[in-house]
Amino acid sequence: DNQIRFVKSALWYHGYGRPELYRLPSDGSAGSRELLLAFSWLLHRLGLLEQLLARNRVKTGDETSVCTCEDGLPNSQKGPTELAPEYGLEDRVDVRYLQWLNGRLRFQWRGLHAQHQEQCKLLHKIHLFTSGSHMDQILGHFSVTETDLIRQPENYKQLLQLMESETMQLEAFLEWKQLEPVYWQWMETVLDNMAEEGNICESQDAHVEKSGLPKATSCCPWADSLTGQIDRLSRDLMTLRDQLHELITHRKAAWCEKVKIREEELQKEGFSATARKIQESVELKLLDLTYLCAPKKNKMHGSCRLVFRSKHPASKTGFGRSVSKEPVSAVSAAEVIRELQMREASLERELKQLQEECRQRLDEIAEGLDGVICISP
Amino acid sequence: MSWYPAFSQQSNVMKENHSSDSDSLKSNPWHKHLLCQLCQLRLAAALAAALGEGAERRRELEQRAARSRALLRRWDSEEDEQPQPEAGSSSGHENRPSPKELEELELLNRALEKALKVRKSILKTPLETQGATGEKSAGEGPAPKNAEEQQVPAPVEGIPKSTRVRAVSRRPASSKKPSPYQLRAPYRTDPDVKKLQRKAPARCVSHGPRAAGKSSSKGVACTQGRSHRTAISASDRETCAAAEPQKTPGLSKSALNEQQSFSVGDSAGGKNSAAAGGHLFDAGKKSFGSLRESSRKEDPTTEGVLGRSTSPRTVTLQEKGCQLKLPLPYRKAYSRNSRAWERCRLCQTSADAAAARNRFMEQIQTTFCSPMPAFSPAEIEEDLKVLQDVPSLLSQYVEAERADHPTLQREYESLLTLEGLQTTVSQCLHKLQLLRAAVESQMRLRPDCAGDVGSCSPACVLPRGQTCGSAGTLAVPLLCYSSFQELRDLFALKLRVSMLHQEIALQKVMMAELLPVLESRLYPEASAAQLYRAIYTQLCEGGKRFPVLVRDELAD
Repeated sequence: DNQIRFVKSALWYHGYGRPELYRLPSDGSAGSRELLLAFSWLLHRLGLLEQLLARNRVKTGDETSVCTCEDGLPNSQKGPTELAPEYGLEDRVDVRYLQWLNGRLRFQWRGLHAQHQEQCKLLHKIHLFTSGSHMDQILGHFSVTETDLIRQPENYKQLLQLMESETMQLEAFLEWKQLEPVYWQWMETVLDNMAEEGNICESQDAHVEKSGLPKATSCCPWADSLTGQIDRLSRDLMTLRDQLHELITHRKAAWCEKVKIREEELQKEGFSATARKIQESVELKLLDLTYLCAPKKNKMHGSCRLVFRSKHPASKTGFGRSVSKEPVSAVSAAEVIRELQMREASLERELKQLQEECRQRLDEIAEGLDGVICISP
Repeated sequence: MSWYPAFSQQSNVMKENHSSDSDSLKSNPWHKHLLCQLCQLRLAAALAAALGEGAERRRELEQRAARSRALLRRWDSEEDEQPQPEAGSSSGHENRPSPKELEELELLNRALEKALKVRKSILKTPLETQGATGEKSAGEGPAPKNAEEQQVPAPVEGIPKSTRVRAVSRRPASSKKPSPYQLRAPYRTDPDVKKLQRKAPARCVSHGPRAAGKSSSKGVACTQGRSHRTAISASDRETCAAAEPQKTPGLSKSALNEQQSFSVGDSAGGKNSAAAGGHLFDAGKKSFGSLRESSRKEDPTTEGVLGRSTSPRTVTLQEKGCQLKLPLPYRKAYSRNSRAWERCRLCQTSADAAAARNRFMEQIQTTFCSPMPAFSPAEIEEDLKVLQDVPSLLSQYVEAERADHPTLQREYESLLTLEGLQTTVSQCLHKLQLLRAAVESQMRLRPDCAGDVGSCSPACVLPRGQTCGSAGTLAVPLLCYSSFQELRDLFALKLRVSMLHQEIALQKVMMAELLPVLESRLYPEASAAQLYRAIYTQLCEGGKRFPVLVRDELAD
């Protein structure tokens, strides 16, 4: 039953709109053809096979994730009852305990940071020392796993097996590609059949059904969180818009003044030509920005293999050589860093806004406190 | 901004010492400020969960690091990995401060009480201003103060540092205040102990240890916002990273030896390489250079291999690295595998298949509910993600254009840029409206799965917005970095983004739980002020800085 609900909501999530599917009973007793249709739709829509292959790729390199997808606190939904036993005896949980926990958390982050930095150092050394050894020119050097493989080959038999089975999967994929036309033609017939059958009994209950769809309006956390985000972003953008408006009217007025005074002079200098050039350069500058604001179609998700490519053409891991053979999807660390910096900036902004809100509320509370004045740091 | 009471702007306000506080300090520190039990648990649970995650990450990371370290040593010698201090930390993971920590907290509280008493007695004679200055300094601890002054020339970053400089210089001035004022305890001692960290290149700028009567949280507050950058820009990047986790155990060992120094929480988890700790503590007391050396000793694996490999027979990666060859079976499997990948990547959908598929998709689309919302939930989320960073990016651009422009051309350019930005803003706002409408219409269509909270959005299970046919899916996913610095920046930033996510989530939970407590006045009245202060710190300053609460007695 849960499975069916999951499937329905996953299909809804990706935009599948066939009502017959959603009307299927929750016990799985009927609707195998509907499921087949839904599966085929999903197959194409998400590139299921390719995604599955890519995700389950055997990882022989030093992997790190590229995207910034995060869930919040995964355990924040846990009820207090579940964790109550831990704090069972002491019911004197008070604010200093929280402060202590918080401090430990911060300390932990710092420890993590140090660990990561050390790991970077180690990784880099290994990459550096093994440059030029890999038979795959694109990679150029070994990863930790591969180096360990050389050192202790017996530990990695499983890896080899996984690789073999992956190769077989890939070959199966290629076969599928051969047979694809047959599949889609078959699906078309299924759809046609369903349409014929459906038309007979559909017309009566169509109206009834549509109005009867349960409207889960109020209790959806998904929608709430999204509308919350949308509201926050709109607020930010509207304040920005107002600021811009003010700034622009101000500046424009000043500009017009200046231009009026020097009109003939400017005409002599051929200012209109310069103006056009300036327009073009500004457009170019802003093109970058609009690109960033628009959704990127081929954004990388998931984990990538870290590869060291020094910029010096003289070194063995010559940049120029490998570029020509390079498949499309190599991402440069610089790009990822830029994106991360943007992400960091907006997260910091959000945090500051939350803190500011707290500050205001606490100020209000402070007024209610007797005889105490709070001076903020 | 300085938190030290003496530096507050209102110099004529009197501050009061809460004697009741010192009494309670002797008892169990958790006894005060009993908050509503249930909501606390939720917050504590969230924090504990976060801690658990963090500990896991550390363990994982430690394993990987151990493997890499093994590779960099000589391969023939099978040395036993000495348990690194970080590994020990995960084993002692508890959600309660250990009794040792509580003891240390007690001792510290007493030390602070004494200092407070000394100070009170000094302040009762305000006439000898000079003497007061001197004695007050004595009361506060001369050594730390001097140490602090020494650190001023040390690499400095950020406002808090300069504030402390100001703090030091203003201290004599404040003693000249005529009216007797008393410190409100608990207060934080200004010459805080984090000079040990500060020996390290300006990484951690903490605002002093927590107030004595408060928690035993880690005083090693670090302005995270700058720490990764400064850490990176520090001169001793390489060994600092290794040194740091080993340094902090040293701190905890020496906590009580230091005057008014405590970093109580640091010993949580029981990191106990005492020798290393002591050694590093001494190193920390000396100059920065010696810290380098000691950390070098602690990290023999890499450094030792590099410089001083004596036995020529054993193989080190550095020497033989570029001549290594993978074993033959692996090589075969690898090349078969990569050829298969390449073939798959290049393989195209045949024309027939494409045609049939498109027909099918069109057909099925016609059977969908007729007014389909413009965006699927997946697309809505994807677009929102993209838009999330836009406001801060745009405001950066706007700030850049605020400066005055000398020439007419520059001004014209600036004006055009601003107008362009305005267009972008309105486009984004429009998009947001569309998205909002889409959310509403999707809600109407939504199948009845009100029970499942998490299943609605399969999160990052399948990357959204990627339609098939994007050639990138099957290509080898590579992330190329071009320098060691880039690699470090990358990881530091990733960590920082994760941390910010967590902080924001925790902040929301805290807001939901702690603010109502204050607003509803369910707490014992005596502790109102302390409670307020604790909550203020946590919510508004990220637990790093304290407000000053001043009792307004002028009204009398």
